[in-house]
Amino acid sequence: MLIPHPLLGPRDAQEFTYLGDASLLNRPDGLADTAPEAFNDYVYLRDNPAGLHRELWFHEQGDRSWLIVTRNTVTHEILGAELARDVALAAMGGAQ
Amino acid sequence: MTRLSGGLIDRGTTLNFTFDGRAMTGHPGDTLASALLANDVRLIGRSFKYHRPRGLVAAGSEEPNAMVELRTGARQEPNTRATMAELFNGLSARSQNRVGSLGFDLLAVNDLMSPFFAAGFYYKTFMWPKAFWEKLYEPMIRRAAGLGSLSMLPDPDSYDKGFLHCDLLVIGGGAAGLAAALTAARAGAQVILADEDFRLGGRLLAESHALNDAPATDWIAQIEAEFASLPNLRVMTRTTVFGAFDHGIYGAVERVGDHLATPGQNVRQTLWRITAKRTVLAAGATERHIPFANNDRPGVMLAGAMRAYANRWAVSPAQSVAIFTNGDDGHRTALDLAAKGVTIAGVIDTRAGARAQGDYPLFAGAVVSDTKGRLGLKRIAVTREGQTQWIEAGALGVAGGWNPNVHLASHHRGRPVWNDDLLAFLPEPGAVPGMVVAGAANGQGSTHAALQSGAQAAIDALAGLGMTAHQPDLPRAEDAPVNQAAFWHVPGKGRAWVDFQNDVTVKDIKLAHQENMRPVEHLKRWTTLGMATDQGKTANVTALAVMAELSGQSIPATGTTIFRPPYTGVSLSVLGAGDTGTHFRPRRLTPTHTWAADQGAVFVEVGQWMRAQYFPRAGETHWRETVDREVLATRAGVGLCDVTTLGKVDVQGADAGEFLNRIYANAMGSLKVGMVRYGLMLREDGHAYDDGTCARLAEDHYVVTTTTAQAGPVYRHMEFARQCLWPDLDVQLISTTDAWAQISVAGPNARKLLERVVDGFDLSNAAFPFMACAELSVCKGLRARLFRISFSGELAYEIAVPARYGNALMARMIALGADLGATPYGTEALGVLRIEKGHAAGNELNGQTTAQMLGMGRMVSTKKDSIGAVMSRREGLTAETRVLVGLQPVDASARVAPGMHLFTEGGAQNTDTDQGWITSACYSPHLGSMIGLGFLANGADRMGEVITAANPLEGQSAALRVVSPHFVDPEGGRLRD
Amino acid sequence: MTDLTPIMALGGQSARTQILGALTLSETPDLALASLALRRGTVQPVPMGLPLPGPGGWTAGQGVSAFWTGPGQWMIEAVGRADTGIEQALKHAAPGCSVTDQTDGFAAIEITSSAGGAPIRALLEKLVNLDAAGFGPGSATRTGLEHMTVFVIRRSEDRLAVIGMRSLAGSLWHAVERAARHLQEGTQ
Repeated sequence: MLIPHPLLGPRDAQEFTYLGDASLLNRPDGLADTAPEAFNDYVYLRDNPAGLHRELWFHEQGDRSWLIVTRNTVTHEILGAELARDVALAAMGGAQ
Repeated sequence: MTRLSGGLIDRGTTLNFTFDGRAMTGHPGDTLASALLANDVRLIGRSFKYHRPRGLVAAGSEEPNAMVELRTGARQEPNTRATMAELFNGLSARSQNRVGSLGFDLLAVNDLMSPFFAAGFYYKTFMWPKAFWEKLYEPMIRRAAGLGSLSMLPDPDSYDKGFLHCDLLVIGGGAAGLAAALTAARAGAQVILADEDFRLGGRLLAESHALNDAPATDWIAQIEAEFASLPNLRVMTRTTVFGAFDHGIYGAVERVGDHLATPGQNVRQTLWRITAKRTVLAAGATERHIPFANNDRPGVMLAGAMRAYANRWAVSPAQSVAIFTNGDDGHRTALDLAAKGVTIAGVIDTRAGARAQGDYPLFAGAVVSDTKGRLGLKRIAVTREGQTQWIEAGALGVAGGWNPNVHLASHHRGRPVWNDDLLAFLPEPGAVPGMVVAGAANGQGSTHAALQSGAQAAIDALAGLGMTAHQPDLPRAEDAPVNQAAFWHVPGKGRAWVDFQNDVTVKDIKLAHQENMRPVEHLKRWTTLGMATDQGKTANVTALAVMAELSGQSIPATGTTIFRPPYTGVSLSVLGAGDTGTHFRPRRLTPTHTWAADQGAVFVEVGQWMRAQYFPRAGETHWRETVDREVLATRAGVGLCDVTTLGKVDVQGADAGEFLNRIYANAMGSLKVGMVRYGLMLREDGHAYDDGTCARLAEDHYVVTTTTAQAGPVYRHMEFARQCLWPDLDVQLISTTDAWAQISVAGPNARKLLERVVDGFDLSNAAFPFMACAELSVCKGLRARLFRISFSGELAYEIAVPARYGNALMARMIALGADLGATPYGTEALGVLRIEKGHAAGNELNGQTTAQMLGMGRMVSTKKDSIGAVMSRREGLTAETRVLVGLQPVDASARVAPGMHLFTEGGAQNTDTDQGWITSACYSPHLGSMIGLGFLANGADRMGEVITAANPLEGQSAALRVVSPHFVDPEGGRLRD
Repeated sequence: MTDLTPIMALGGQSARTQILGALTLSETPDLALASLALRRGTVQPVPMGLPLPGPGGWTAGQGVSAFWTGPGQWMIEAVGRADTGIEQALKHAAPGCSVTDQTDGFAAIEITSSAGGAPIRALLEKLVNLDAAGFGPGSATRTGLEHMTVFVIRRSEDRLAVIGMRSLAGSLWHAVERAARHLQEGTQ
């Protein structure tokens, strides 16, 4: 597979380490009253779609960026990749 | 048999080779197959199941029968297709799958037993009695099965790998592929043209057709000359593209040296990983045969192969040849062979209205219904309108139509589509993104159509990349339409082979049909059809057609046949494509490796690292003797150990402290500059992940350590936290594991030794207390870092210097500390020291344990949010009562082993009564017995109790007393002195 | 100056060199390395007069050069300055940035060709999964090489650097040397 790195262009998937669902970015507040339930969902509950999936890949043998790659799990087609940091910052901006 | 006229062989040079010990000759340009035919060899091997005599069927990589053992000694290679083995001087080949001689194979008795060996035989027969499987059936089947044999010696050759990138990959160097490559290369694209043959031209080399009224080789030579002038085109012959993977990645094997007498002088084969933006698949087509009774005798072959042997290699399998065909293509073979002086005994055409196209006997509306000849074809039975006559023929060419080579187009599970006009499966358009199929592989099999479609495919492919290519001037070529009538097999009572290599007959397919194994997938598994090394290239579609006929359905309704990689067999050696032995995988050496090796250290692999395990001295006869000495010397004087392998991460930034607060369970932000703190990391699910130390060098600068094993994953985890969870924090991370040589200096004399190397630094307890750290200089100006931390329970430090000075610093300290008892110790002693002190390590931090179990539950701060903190407090984990304890045998001579499970003394020993397990154990020279660490239910409340540790598998059992895990200095006074 | 004697990453007292056909492999002695990372709000500096390159790039200045290693991160190289305290010099030249000495973290193999760029491209094809044709002078990237992580820098048409973890220097040298030897033998 080739991962279209947003800064470095297409790179072989062997350079990357896979983590999983990009929902891992949405870590709950550990000090909130609802933390136990929220963390149960965060740690254990995932969608497992046949189709488009936003997932985390680490460019381990590369620039050490975490990417969010949108991949069709049925066809392996990759529709795009973003720097996870940018996505996380944007989400924080939106929340504030 | 003498050679025919013409052919693409160099008659001026003679090559000597042997087959089953017989000396023979051939010429450059020959394959082993063509050379064997030229030497009148028709019987080449024995079939897999029935040990039937077999000869050549094909002329290319689809060959199902003619598999030989090539070469001798360590280079002996089984299952080499004679059709793909280029002849070289001194080649030695042997027939295989025989017991006794090739002419009289003892296992040919299987053929007489064939009624018992029908499809499903193994499944049904060897089911019972159950105990017979392991002892009798399997060994027997294994001995009888398998083709060829291995040398059992290490492969002496070297294999290589590489990576290529291109705009367009053209797979196949026949008419379509040449046209595609020419078109694309002229347009300036980066092009790779790969072909499995050693010569470009594909089927053009096998036919007698002219291009522009001249031999096809003239045009090929002209194209090759132009290719040589185009730097953007890479031509790779002897290269099989074996798989189409995701996103334009293709696997290819280049047989660099297989055609040389000594293949491995340089590289034998190279595994190429080709990343192509676009691909033209021009893999051609494979002819299919028509099963009839006893159609597997040597001499019965594909008509197109026969034509190839005559035209390219100037050989014919016999002086008198017959052709069995369901279309015009068989007549071509008759004409080409007749033109070379071969007698055509007859053309048997299944079409009633067929006409002879030359001067040969024609049997229209007839079929071949049987054959005779024990070790080679002698006669064929021709049946027309119920009347059978036998005619003499030394060989029979069978032309059942052509199957496009759709293999690579179906590697992404694209399902080939049936075409009723062509009576063939064509590739599903777009099945592999970026791939365009051209030529015979796409059903465009006339030379004209192949050339045109190849060029057009290149134009279309490059257009997708925004590049403009133009149709080149292509030569005038034949453009005969496909004229054939569907005819799939000759019904009859005798066995008619469909899959030669796995001995699957029409009867087997009938049986599968009877037993309701009708879907193609079931058919395949029940009969083993297409599961041999040739993957059924000449069999699958025919089998599907037979099944369709039996079930009264159309072929497309019956199913389709798809292929997986590899296209042809790929050796494991080239898939490894790298070094064996020492360099099988990368090895990391510590900064003091050279020094340790000079001391005679014994090394141990710890992940990629090579670490000194112990340092034996003259007279020490057992590793334990050495390790005991190293441990005692450390506790009595001072020991030195290279601990560079621990991961080190430099953490900087205004929010470094806050960041570490969030990734460690305990607080790090409050750490004072110049101090170190033990840190425990949890996984988000609440289990312990890793431990190490955090040293604060400045307000905005920490150095943290990880365990050796987790250095990579922990760094990745920290980057995840930094980039994905808290990108708003000002933190920068970088690994510095290799930058610093870090040496542990442990023991009561540690301070005295260090005082001799530091440059005027005050090491007194007041100035540099337990858990202090500092940047300083040593050995007259070398920058260094010093940490007062202990893994052994002794007064201890870790000193770090730039890695290139580590070797010299170790030697210096050992020399300076001679009077202090300075002793190097390895990982064994390191382990003993930490077990004696009750420090958790990888055995305890195994991913299944919690801070609470490790006795560090109170370290998980409730005042802040950190990774894993919330989940560590969930009921399931807090209810866990097993905690880390020390275990000491009641009988000092008892053995304690990791993995033993813990039970109440005298109680039952089963999973219900299980109370924990031993994680680490060693011999403690300090205590004079073995000791262990383990997790024990309610362990904290059971100090002094005697329990039983058991390993029921090996019948081991020991009575152990529960003690504090801190066997040495439980108050920790030595650390702080 | 310390009285300890350093050793090279490959274990010798001096740098290793080997000639294989058109290619010369040399272990680089005394290459000072330091990583540079922007902090929140810092303006991208021009340390030691060196314009820092963008993703995938390498730029050379007077005695120093730099390559991009990640978003907001670079590695600064200074040949012959291993013992001159590059960390302090860089901190001074790039105020407000995080700087970490990496001199001893890596081992560098410089590869020069006596026959132009073709042998370098051929070697790249055998070592790393990068588009060798597109990896021209001024390119630098981190990638995998025989299960090791390396920086690859195309310093010029006929010059390539492979920089790997210091502890892996022996395996890295072996891998590069093996590939170069196969190329040499293939052209004989």
